[in-house]
Amino acid sequence: MNKFLPFVLGAGALAASLAGGAARAQTPAVNPMPDGSRDMYVGLGVQSAPRYEGTGSRKVSALPVLQVEWSNGVFISGMSAGMHLSNSPTVEYGPLLALKPGRDATGSGREIGGFGFVGSLPIAGENLRTAPSGLGGMDEIGARLQAGGFYNLYLSPQWRLTSSLLAGAGRDHDGARLELGVQRLALAAGERHRVSLSAGLGIVNRQYNATYFGVTEEEARRSRFSAYAPGGGVQDIQLGARWHWTLTPSWMLTSNLQAKRLLGDARHSPLAERPTNLTVSTAIAYRF
Amino acid sequence: MRPARQFIVSLALLLAAGSAGAQARDGDAVSYRDAYRAMVVFEKYGGPKNLLVSQLQVLPRERGALAEGLQLLLSGKTTQLSLPLDPLGRTVFPLQKAAYDENAVLSLSRKGGFTMRPQVSIAVRPDGMYDVADLRAACTQALAFLRYVDASQRARQCAAVRFVFVKRAEGGARLRRPDVPEQVLPLTTGDADEGFPAVIWRFGTGAERGQVVTFNAPLAILPIFD
Repeated sequence: MNKFLPFVLGAGALAASLAGGAARAQTPAVNPMPDGSRDMYVGLGVQSAPRYEGTGSRKVSALPVLQVEWSNGVFISGMSAGMHLSNSPTVEYGPLLALKPGRDATGSGREIGGFGFVGSLPIAGENLRTAPSGLGGMDEIGARLQAGGFYNLYLSPQWRLTSSLLAGAGRDHDGARLELGVQRLALAAGERHRVSLSAGLGIVNRQYNATYFGVTEEEARRSRFSAYAPGGGVQDIQLGARWHWTLTPSWMLTSNLQAKRLLGDARHSPLAERPTNLTVSTAIAYRF
Repeated sequence: MRPARQFIVSLALLLAAGSAGAQARDGDAVSYRDAYRAMVVFEKYGGPKNLLVSQLQVLPRERGALAEGLQLLLSGKTTQLSLPLDPLGRTVFPLQKAAYDENAVLSLSRKGGFTMRPQVSIAVRPDGMYDVADLRAACTQALAFLRYVDASQRARQCAAVRFVFVKRAEGGARLRRPDVPEQVLPLTTGDADEGFPAVIWRFGTGAERGQVVTFNAPLAILPIFD
């Protein structure tokens, strides 16, 4: 989810209040485009990421790109969807749905993820290649549809505080994760280059941690891991940098670097072979 | 001039924050959608704005390019428009659904790099007479809009307005007050970036009565915030 936030925030960076009039009464004030219009990005990229959270084993995956935003505030960003409801350009909030990828014995399985651009171009992808990893004997965890919301506050057009809460992950669909972050947007790095920086914190409940970092007695008997029952709390901190290169008004290249460090009970999990991991991706996208 | 520049920069950053395509290299174009997203903010602003105007300002990299009849071209599948730029590089931005849907592009009539930014200024009156109270009201409207889009600007206050003129010979203004002889306001050399002569009228601390009368129509009237 942390990767999704930039879109939520970026889309509202140029938001304004409702112009008034019955004809526009149903149009959110944040609508940055003509009524009935949409903005869409489609593209392809590549990503290098850990096979699952906490492992030192990595995989390189193809990364299809998709983002659509409609004038009524509804958006799809990779495998996330939501709606802007705020009437203020300095505050953003709304409902949010997101699909959390499953995890099988080979690692994160057919992961589906997403990440944001500087401005408003997140992308999502599907891993096309997997390889053996060290989760043999662990229960498979299916993909989970999470529901919740987001709330973001602009301190200035360049600085924003972000938050999102999603529930529905985990073995029994009762895992919840709260993300808090701060972002510095659109640092100019040349004529057509923008860089944004972010830092964030992830807090989860016990059920969330137990699913993705716990080891049941039965799993311990089947796998190489010893039993482990983590509690809730701070799960990780993240630092990120995104580089957005506008090649033409329609073509753009986006690259993302994110470092995540596990903390708390997740850090002490037997699954957490490496507490700090990097995710790197780059993608080219066309704007329709 | 610094406060005024800060104001303009603040608005310009809206464009930069939300649209990476706001800058163009030589011979290149800029996304109309990105400019639209920046410019529609003022259009949808629900606060008082009857004393203000919003324009798109083009800043060519080549100094002096604006003096040679430069135009901004809007090009889409079915949309073709030439937008004349004033000496400050400003034009009224057309908010067109067709151009947005076609993902139209903006370019200059001559090759050359440029940047763009929204600019909100005080409306020029045809009679050239500005009540001091109206100037303050206009500045207050501009400040309210700035605070609306940028929460970090809440501590700012209206300090002055700046009348920008094309030529020194055409510039100048005088102050009319009841029971006081008319006073000619000094003409400054203008902002270093723009290079245009200007008259600055600073607001007093108490209730103000009177009028600022310009000798000729100013190119722009910009609010200054402290």
